[in-house]
Order: sequence, then C-alpha cells, then structure tokens
Amino acid sequence: MDALVAQLQMQYRNYTASLYQQGFLDDQFTELKKLQDDASPDFVAEVLSLFFEDCVKLIGNMARALDQTGTVDFSQVGASVHQLKGSSSSVGAKRVKGLCVTFKEYCEANNYEGCVRCLQQIDIEYKALKTKLQDMFNLEKQIVQAGGKVPQVDN
Amino acid sequence: MTVEQDCVALDQFPVGMRVLAVDDDQTCLRILESLLHRCQYHVTTTNQAQKALELLRENKNKFDLVISDVDMPDMDGFKLLELVGLEMDLPVIMLSAHSDPKYVMKGVTHGACDYLLKPVRIEELKNIWQHVVRSRFDKNRGSNNGDKKDGSGNEGVANSDQNNGRANRKRKDQYNEDEDEERDDNDDPSSQKKPRVVWTVELHKKFVAAVNQLGFEKAMPKKILDLMNVEKLTRENVASHLQKFRLYLKRISGNQQAIMANSDLHFLQMSNGLDGFHHRPIPAGSGQFHGGAAAAAGMRPFPPNGILGRLNTPSGIGGVRSLSSSPSSGMFLQNPTDLGKFHHVSSLPLNHIDGGNILQGLPMPLEFDQLQTNNNKSIIPGNSMAAFPSFPSTQQSSLPNNNSHLVLQGHPQASPSAFPGHQINKRLEHWSNAVSSSSSTLPPPPAQNSNSIMSHQFDDGSSSYSIPFCDSTIPLAPAMDTNPRAFYRTTDLDSNANVQPGGVYYDSLQMRQSGNYGPTTDALLSSNAKEGFIVGQQKLQSGFMGAEAGSLDDIVNSTMKQSQGDLSEGDLGYGGFSSLRTCL
Repeated sequence: MDALVAQLQMQYRNYTASLYQQGFLDDQFTELKKLQDDASPDFVAEVLSLFFEDCVKLIGNMARALDQTGTVDFSQVGASVHQLKGSSSSVGAKRVKGLCVTFKEYCEANNYEGCVRCLQQIDIEYKALKTKLQDMFNLEKQIVQAGGKVPQVDN
Repeated sequence: MTVEQDCVALDQFPVGMRVLAVDDDQTCLRILESLLHRCQYHVTTTNQAQKALELLRENKNKFDLVISDVDMPDMDGFKLLELVGLEMDLPVIMLSAHSDPKYVMKGVTHGACDYLLKPVRIEELKNIWQHVVRSRFDKNRGSNNGDKKDGSGNEGVANSDQNNGRANRKRKDQYNEDEDEERDDNDDPSSQKKPRVVWTVELHKKFVAAVNQLGFEKAMPKKILDLMNVEKLTRENVASHLQKFRLYLKRISGNQQAIMANSDLHFLQMSNGLDGFHHRPIPAGSGQFHGGAAAAAGMRPFPPNGILGRLNTPSGIGGVRSLSSSPSSGMFLQNPTDLGKFHHVSSLPLNHIDGGNILQGLPMPLEFDQLQTNNNKSIIPGNSMAAFPSFPSTQQSSLPNNNSHLVLQGHPQASPSAFPGHQINKRLEHWSNAVSSSSSTLPPPPAQNSNSIMSHQFDDGSSSYSIPFCDSTIPLAPAMDTNPRAFYRTTDLDSNANVQPGGVYYDSLQMRQSGNYGPTTDALLSSNAKEGFIVGQQKLQSGFMGAEAGSLDDIVNSTMKQSQGDLSEGDLGYGGFSSLRTCL
C-alpha cells in the first residue's frame, strides 16, 4: 500500500508541478490551497467549480454580446471579460487570465475579430484547465483512498 | 450569503472583527470569505450591493468593516461606498480587478479607506483591521478621549465606546446594561463610562421641543432636562446631545450655504483649492477616511465668507464667523487645531447612540476634521487636507471661539443651526420640485418639526429659529419627503452632501416616523427606531445630496459648470439661509 501511495504521490507531484510549469496555474492557486484545511477540506474543489460555472456564464455573455447582428456592444463584452479576469486571477488560472487581458484590449479597441478569437481561445483554455484539474483532484482522491496524504506542491 | 455567528470575544480584536463582503462574482466572494476566515474575522457575504445595504441598515452595529467589489451589476461599488460612508460611517475597502490608478483615485475620493486589487492576498487582509482602529481612533481623538480608545472595559483596542458605532456594537454584546442606560462617553471630558443614552426619535423630539421652548440660544441643558422630564436622563446627556445638535445644525447650515449660495462660485473656489475634491457629504461619524474626504470636499463648497457672513448673527456666533473669515470653505476642516476643537464639541453625537448613529450624523464636521487632520494626510496624500492648510490661518482664531461657543449653551451656534433648517427646507422643496418624478413615494413625515420649521423660517424669515429638530409642530414633510428620495438617489452626488447634514438631521426624525425612506430606508427605519435619529440623518444627507444628481464627479462638474442649474437648490438654500439669519 505504501508503495502505491508513494507512487501516487509522486505522480501527483509531477502532474501538479507540470500544471504550474505549463502556465495553467500560478501562485494564487497555491494560496488557494493554503486555505484548504480540515474545516474546509474541499475548498479548492469548491472554488474551482464555482469558477468554472462563472466561466460558462461569462463566456456565454460574451458570445451573446458578440453575436449581435448590428453593432456590438464592446463595453458589455468588456464587462464580462473584466469579471472573468477577476475571478481567474483569484483562482490562479493563469492562462485564462492572460487571455482575458488580451481580450480586454481587443474590446477597448473595438476589434471584433480579435474579440471573437479571444473568446474561442478562452473557451478552449478554461475547458482544458478544467480537465487538468479534474485529473489532479482524482489523483488526490486516490492518494487519500490509498491511505496517504496529498503532498504539498507549490509550483 | 452566509452569516457567521459572532462567537469570538469582542475583546480579542482584531480577531472576530465583523466584515461584510460584497461581490457579485461568486468565485471571488467565496475566496474572499475564506481568506477573511483565515484571518479570524467574522464574515458575512452577499453578492448584491442592495442586500448589503439592507444588512447594514438593519443594524449599523453589526459590522465593523465593509469590503466591496467595484463592478457590480446592481449597484456601482463606488456608490455603495458612498452610501455606506454616509449612512453608517463604516470603513469601506474597495476591491477590484482594475489596477488603473484612476479607479484607485475614485475609490479614494469616494471615501474608501483602502483599495485592494484582485487577486486578493491574505497578507493584505491581515491588516485591514487597522482601518477600523484608525476610524475609531480618529473619532476618539476628536473628542479627546484617549482612554476611550483603549475601550476601557470595552471590547478590545479598537472598540472605543465612543463615537464609534462599532464600538458600541461590540460593547453591546458585552454590556450587561441596557442600551438605554445612560452613557457618557466622548462628551464627558472626564471620559467616564456611563451608561449610554440612546437618543430615540421620541427622546430627541422631546429634546427639540424643550430647546424650542427655551429658545435655541438660551437652551441650557439643565432647563432642557427639566422640560423633557425623562427619567434617567442626566444633564450631561442633554448637554452632550445639545452640543452635537448644535454642531449638526452648524454644519448643516454651513454646508447648505456652501452649496446653495453662489455655489458655483464657491464651488469653483473650493474646487480650485481642493484640487477637485468634490463635495462630499460629511459622513456621519466620519471617522473613516471617507468621512474625512467627504468633509473636506463638503466643506469646500462652503464659502466661508458668503455663508458664514450671513450666519454670523448679532449674537456673534463665534464659530461661524471665524469660518467665514477663512478664505476657503471647509471651515471645519481647515485647521487641525480647529478640528480638534470641533471634536470636543461634537463629542456629543458620537456617544449617544449605540449604533453611534447620532454620532455619525452630528459629529460629522468634527470627526471629519479629525480625519482630515489626523488621517487624511496619511490616507490620502495630497488630499483635501493639503488644500485645507491654506485656509487655516483665519480659521484658527475663529475656531477656538467656535468651540467655546459650542460649549456654551445657547451659543450662537444656534443661529446657524436655524439656518440649516431653512436652507435644507428650501433646498428640499426646490429639489423635490425639480425631481418630483424620481422621488420615491415617501409619505409626508408626520408633522415633523424640522420640516415645518425650516420651511417656516425660510418663508417667514421669522425671528424664531427654525431649528429643524426643535420645532415639532411644523412638519417638514414636504421637503422631507423629497429628502428620502433624494437621499437615495443622489447619494452619488456629493456636492449636495454638504447640504445634507442639516437636512439629514431633520429628515431622519421625520423619515423614521413616516417611514418614508423608501425601499432602502425601510429596513433602516424600522430597525433603527432607536437610532432613527441618526440613521435618518444619514439618510437625509445622502438623499439631499443626491438631489442634484449624478455621481460625485458629475456633481463636481456640474457645480463647476452649471452652477446656475445645480445651484438652484443652493440658491434657494442660500436665500433661505439669509432669511434664517434674520430670524436669528
């Protein structure tokens, strides 16, 4: 069992480290993990699911705003982007946040194509992150089920 | 929205500090909540600004600090900030993903005591309690009660039982005494802790009636006390309250005049001096930075010469006169020394209400001053305070007089107070006319004194003071009605804020009774029966200010550019003011 735990732990460490290295996650995610404790053991998972919910909602807003036949209200798009930027930076979703920054610039420049492109990229990005994090959480669960403790991985 | 029970002992501050977190983003809110918990604060969250306001109004003493996001769909964060500062005088921290300095500046000018960028880090939150302490500290300092700060017996360091509504709140938990017990906090130089008197609307009405009967200038605490015939009320309580009342009126009259009379001119003068600080209503109990800023801004429009001159009645209102002499408005803020003096005077309001409502309303100028002098410099570099120093010279001399005046009962202060009523009345009427459509349907306040008095004065220019509070017979209703609406609406408008104080004062009484506050106020009104006085005040303030319309910026701009239009109210007020003066 210990061997299994150790193996899982190593797997977990590597996987998580790679997420940081590949820019999916940043320091803020580490901070988030610190807030998880016995009182709120699923804190990170909770917050991340809230985040992904927000993603769906905001991306939907952006898509709708950009899909207007006629003039596009870029400020409306920008408002949603801004909010996504805030939440993504709060959870440590580095790539998503970076895209939001770019997206915002396009909005301010009223650049329709740029916005549409960013929107597509953000959509892809948040989904990718979601998958990766789900894998990470699964690993955590396996470690715990195997009787081990989830190792701390800070970048 | 989650609500946490406050189980932490109050004297463990900052542990257990009660924070209200507002953010429409559920992710950020959840994280913020968790971070705050980590700092061992008590956290209440809501994703709606409106709900936050309701919570705050429900019980001002329930929270020590508010953290709010800037971009929210139902209400602009800055607007919420203003409202909170005005009504509840709580420190507010802004939160945003906008790192643009102009947003930070906006936060500062709207009175935020701090501005945090998302993502928020726990290190930043670990120190936010300092804003609560600072706020209380300033209030205490104003009233010269150093030991209060220690919360002599009250909750921890930050919970001074004085002025600070918060302190009161915490204190309440620990207190075995009834809230109605008399407490003599700030007002009493001896800084003794006595049971605190809650100046309920009824009590205040009696007070006003007594003062009216005696004549504002002649009203002495002892006589008032006798007339009021309320058990357990001491002369000190009355004296304290009278002091606050006077200050309040003074402030209002000053503000009103500032706004109304030659507002454009004054405003320009002021804005020039203050570097674009808008009129900010002096937040009740402006212990916070916000209050300070507001005060500064508010004060600015006050053209000392113009208004004060008028205010100066033969009775020789020392304070007023001196103010006018100062080149710039913001008489209250002018000198740190002056401020200190004001603090003394205004200690009354601070102490009274549990929630410190009254305090909040009344002490504005003083507290504000304190802030100005004490904190502004630190909080807002180059803020209005900087502008103020330019004025001080004349102020100083005058202020001391003022203080003495204030201290002395039946002081000339009375006259200005009388004026505010007028002005406020006028303005309200004017405003209501102008914005009749927007007004929320506020039922005419029950024959509230202030209204009638004010209008009375204004119209008749009679010699009797129409001290808003004092005259219970004359309903301010018409004017007041509009106030509530104005209050809500215009909260954004800082410029009007100045005028507010007076109006608020009265309105609060009326509002409470009539429950005209309007949707937002309802909660407040009902729950603040006791504190209605204060609450109403605050409300009025904002409402009043709002009349003009627009955000703070708009007001500033409008005042500067449109003086005519915007100042219409002011003009009325101004005129009213003069008529008031003659009365005096």
